[in-house]
Amino acid sequence: MKHEWRTLVADRTLWAITPLFALLIGYGVYNGSSWARFQQSTLEAAKQEERDRFAKVKAECAAIEQGGQPASAFTNPRLPSVAAGRTGPRYALAPPAPLAALSVGQSDLYPYYFKVTSQSRQTFISNDEIENPTNLIAGRFDLAFVIIYLYPLLILALSYNLISAEREQGTLAMMMSQPVSLRTFAAGKIGLRALVVLALAAGFSLAGFLLSGAASGAEGAWQRLLLWMAVVAGYGAFWFALAILVNAFGRNSATNAMALAGLWLALALLLPALLNVAVTTIYPVPSRVEMVQATRRASAEATAKGSQLLARYYEDHPELTAGRQADPNDFYTRSIAVQDETERLIQPVIDHFDRQVTGQQSLVDRFRFLSPAVVAQAALNDIAGTSAARYRHFLNLVDVFHQSWRAHFTPRIVQKALLGAGDYDRFPAFTFREEPAGAVARRAMVGPIGLLIPTLLIGWLGLRALRRYSVAL
Amino acid sequence: MRGSMRLQMITQIARKEFKEMLRDGRFRWASGIVFALLLASVVMGGKHYRDVKRQHDLAQAETREQWLRQPAKNPHSAAHYGIYAFKPKMAPAALDRGVDPFVGQSVWLEAHKQNEFRFRPAQDATAVQRFGELTAATVMQLLIPLLVTLLSFSAFAGEREQGTLRQLLSLGVKKTDLAWGKALGVTGALGALIVPATVIGVIALTLTSENGSLAASAPRMSLMFTSYLLYFASFVGLSLAVSARAKSSQMALVVLLAFWIVNGLIATRAITDIAKRLYPTPSAFAFQQAIDREMQSGPDGHDTADKRAEALKQRLLKQYGVDRLEALPVNFAGVSLQEGEEHGNVVFDKHYGQLWSRFERQNRLKQIAGLFAPMLAIQSVSMGLAGTDFAHHRAFATTAESYRRTLVKKMNDDMTYNAGKQNFSYLAQPALWQRVEDFRYEAPSTAWALRNQTISLAVLALWFVAALTSALMGTRRMRVD
Repeated sequence: MKHEWRTLVADRTLWAITPLFALLIGYGVYNGSSWARFQQSTLEAAKQEERDRFAKVKAECAAIEQGGQPASAFTNPRLPSVAAGRTGPRYALAPPAPLAALSVGQSDLYPYYFKVTSQSRQTFISNDEIENPTNLIAGRFDLAFVIIYLYPLLILALSYNLISAEREQGTLAMMMSQPVSLRTFAAGKIGLRALVVLALAAGFSLAGFLLSGAASGAEGAWQRLLLWMAVVAGYGAFWFALAILVNAFGRNSATNAMALAGLWLALALLLPALLNVAVTTIYPVPSRVEMVQATRRASAEATAKGSQLLARYYEDHPELTAGRQADPNDFYTRSIAVQDETERLIQPVIDHFDRQVTGQQSLVDRFRFLSPAVVAQAALNDIAGTSAARYRHFLNLVDVFHQSWRAHFTPRIVQKALLGAGDYDRFPAFTFREEPAGAVARRAMVGPIGLLIPTLLIGWLGLRALRRYSVAL
Repeated sequence: MRGSMRLQMITQIARKEFKEMLRDGRFRWASGIVFALLLASVVMGGKHYRDVKRQHDLAQAETREQWLRQPAKNPHSAAHYGIYAFKPKMAPAALDRGVDPFVGQSVWLEAHKQNEFRFRPAQDATAVQRFGELTAATVMQLLIPLLVTLLSFSAFAGEREQGTLRQLLSLGVKKTDLAWGKALGVTGALGALIVPATVIGVIALTLTSENGSLAASAPRMSLMFTSYLLYFASFVGLSLAVSARAKSSQMALVVLLAFWIVNGLIATRAITDIAKRLYPTPSAFAFQQAIDREMQSGPDGHDTADKRAEALKQRLLKQYGVDRLEALPVNFAGVSLQEGEEHGNVVFDKHYGQLWSRFERQNRLKQIAGLFAPMLAIQSVSMGLAGTDFAHHRAFATTAESYRRTLVKKMNDDMTYNAGKQNFSYLAQPALWQRVEDFRYEAPSTAWALRNQTISLAVLALWFVAALTSALMGTRRMRVD
C-alpha cells in the first residue's frame, strides 16, 4: 500500500491531470452559478416590477376612491375583473434550488416564473427564457457535464494499466515472488486508487458546492450535497470496477485502453442516444402543431357557444363599451367562461400529450440502468433541482395558486364589488415550497443504488477473473 | 515514367493497407456499428422529416382555411384573430436537425405584437435528449473521426514497433509515397463504409420525401457531403501526422483520443459559455419590459402615446383641411391603429434586431473557434446547408413578420377607407379575407446559406491543408526505428 502510494505520487499522469481537472471544475461551477445568478436576478426584477406596479395601482385606486375618474372602465383598477387580469396579477416564482449551480440540467428549457392572471392557464404558461438555440444544442459546460463525461475519463486514465503495466514492466512477477497473493496485491492497488477516486469525488463536489456560493445555509443544502457526493462516488466506483474487469482479462495496456475507451463511448454517448431514439419511437409525442390547431378549433367552438349577440359584440369590440353604459364585468366573465370551455375542449389533446411524455419518462426511468451516465444524469439533475420532476412540482403549485386566484376574484367579479387600495394587499400571494426533502431523496437515491449494483457485480466478476490472471507475459 | 512508377507504388501500399484493415476484426466491428448507426439515423431522419413536413403543410392549409372562413366582422377583430405560420423543413434537414428541437415550431401572427415562436420540441422530450440526438450529422461529426483514429493511429508507429518500417524504406519506398499510400488506404476503407451508406441513404431519402423536393436540394446535399469529406480528410491527415511523430503507437492513440474528446465533447460546450459571456443576451423579462416601455413612450422615452395620438390628430386635420375628426373623409380609428402598428414595428425591429444580431455574433465566434476544434466548423456548415441553423430560422421569422405587417395593414386600411363613421361596429365582408394573399415562404438560396458559412468553410479548408501538410512533413521527418 505504502509503496503503491509512492508510485501513484510519482506517476506523472496524476499530477498532469489533477490541475487540469481542477480547472475544468472551476470553469463548470463558474458557468453553473452564473446561470443560477441570472435566474435569481430575473426573479428579483419580476418582484420589483410587481412592487412598482402595486404601488402605482394602489395610488390610482386611492385617487379614484377620493372621487377621481378612471381613464376608462376597462382600466379601472377598482374593478375586480381589471385587478385579476391586468393591474393586480402576481408572479409565481421558482427560485433555483440550493445546488442549482452544480447542474444546469433541464432548467435552460423550462420557464421558472409565471405571471398568473385570472385568464386560462394556456395564456400564461409558455414563458420561455431567451436563449440562442445554437447554445442549447451543445448544452452548458457545468459541473454535471464534467462529472458525467470527463470524470470517467480521469478514472480510466488512472487505472487502464493498473495491473497490465506492472506485468509489462516485469514488476508483477517480482511482486508475486513475495508472500503476497495476487488478489491481496490487486486489492491493495485497487483500494488505494478507489480511495483517491472517492476523495476526488468528495473534493470536487465540496469544491463545487463552496465555489458556487450555494446557500449552504439553505434548508436541505447539506443533505443534497451528501446525496450528490453519493452519486458521484457511485458513478466513479462503477468506472473503476470496469477498469478492473478489463484489466483482469490479461491483455496489454494498449488493448485495455482501447477497450475502456470503447466502453466509455458506448455507455456515455451511444446508449443514451439510442435510448432516446427508442423512447421517442415507442411513445412519439404528437406535434405541438396539432395542438395549436386543436386549440384554435376549440376556441372557435367555445366562442360560438357563448353566443348571445351582445356578448360576441363585446368580445369583438371591447373598445366600444367604454363610452356607453355597458358593464365590462360581463365581458371578463364571459371571456373567462369561453377560455375555460376552450381548455375543456382541448383537454383530451393535452391529456394525450401528457400520457406520451409520461410514457417516455417512465421508459427512460426503467431503462436508464443500461447506462450509468443516464442514471447519474437523472440523479444529479434531481438533486440540483433542475429536473423535469421539479418543474412539474412547480407547475402543480402554480395550478393550485391559479385556482385560488380565481376563487378570490370570481365572486367579487360577479357581485360587482369595488376594490379599495387596501384590498390589493389582500390578494393571494404565491409562495414556492421546495419539494419535500424525502421525495427528492427517494428519487435521487435510485442513482447511487442503480450505480452500486452494477458496480458490485462488475467488481466481483473482475476479482474472480483475476484468479486466472497469468503473471508472466 | 518515374511518375507512373510512384503512382503504382502508392496504389500498391494503399491496396495492402486496405486489405489489412478489412481483415482486421476490430475494424470490421467498429465500422459495422458506425454503418448501422449511420443508416438507422438517415432512415429515422427521413421519416421525421416526412412527418413534420406533412403536419406543417396540413396545419398551414388549415390556418389559411380558418382565416378565409371568418364571417363578416370588423377588420381589426380579424387582425386579432390572425393566422399561424408553421416553419417548413427542407429535405436535407433529415440529415441534421440543427436548432429545430430548440426553437418554437410556429408563431402566431396577430395585430399589435411580434410574437415569439412557441413550443420548442425539446421541452416535450426527456433529459436523455441532452446526451445528443442520433442523426446522420452526429454520426459523421463524432463517430467517423473516431473510426479514422482507430484506423490510422498505428499507421507508422505500429510499423516502426514491428520493425517493418525500416524494411519498407530499405526497399526504396519514399517516405512521402508511403504517407500517400497509407492515406489512400484509410480513405479506401472509409469509402467502403461511406459509399454504400450514401447510396442506401439517398434511396431511403428518395422514398421518404416527395418527388422533386430531394432533387431541389441536391446542390445543398452535395455541398454538405463535400464538406464532410474535407472534415474526414483532415482527420486522416492529422492521425497520420501524429502516428509518424509519436514515440509509440500507444502514445499516438492517447494523443488522438484526447484531441477527439476535446474536439467533439469539450469544445462545443466550452465555447458556448464563452460566447454567452462575451455577447450576453437579455432575459426574456428584461426584453419584454424594454419593448413595453418603448411601445408606451417611444424609443427616446419622451414620445408618450397621448402625445403621439394628439400629433396624429393635428396632422390629419391639417392634411384634409377640416377642423374636427368627424369631418375627416377617412376613419380615424383605422389611421391611428395603423399608426400604432408603425410605431410598434420600429420598436420590434430595434429589439429583435439587436437580439438576433447578438445570437449571430455568438454563432460567428463559434465558427472562428473552429480553428481549435474543426467540429465547430463542420457543425455550422452542416446546419447551414441543412437549412436548420439559426440564420434560416431568422429568415423564416422575418418573412412571417413581414407577412403579419402586410396582413394587419390591409385590415387597418380597410377600416380607414371603408368604416366611415361606424368605427368598430363596421363589418367587413369575407371578400376582404380573400384579398390577403396566402402565406408563402421561399427558403433562402444555397448561395445565401454558403455565404453565412464563409468563416467555417475557410476554417475547414485550413484544417484540411494543415493536416495534409503536417502528415507529409511529419512522415518526411519521422524516425525509422
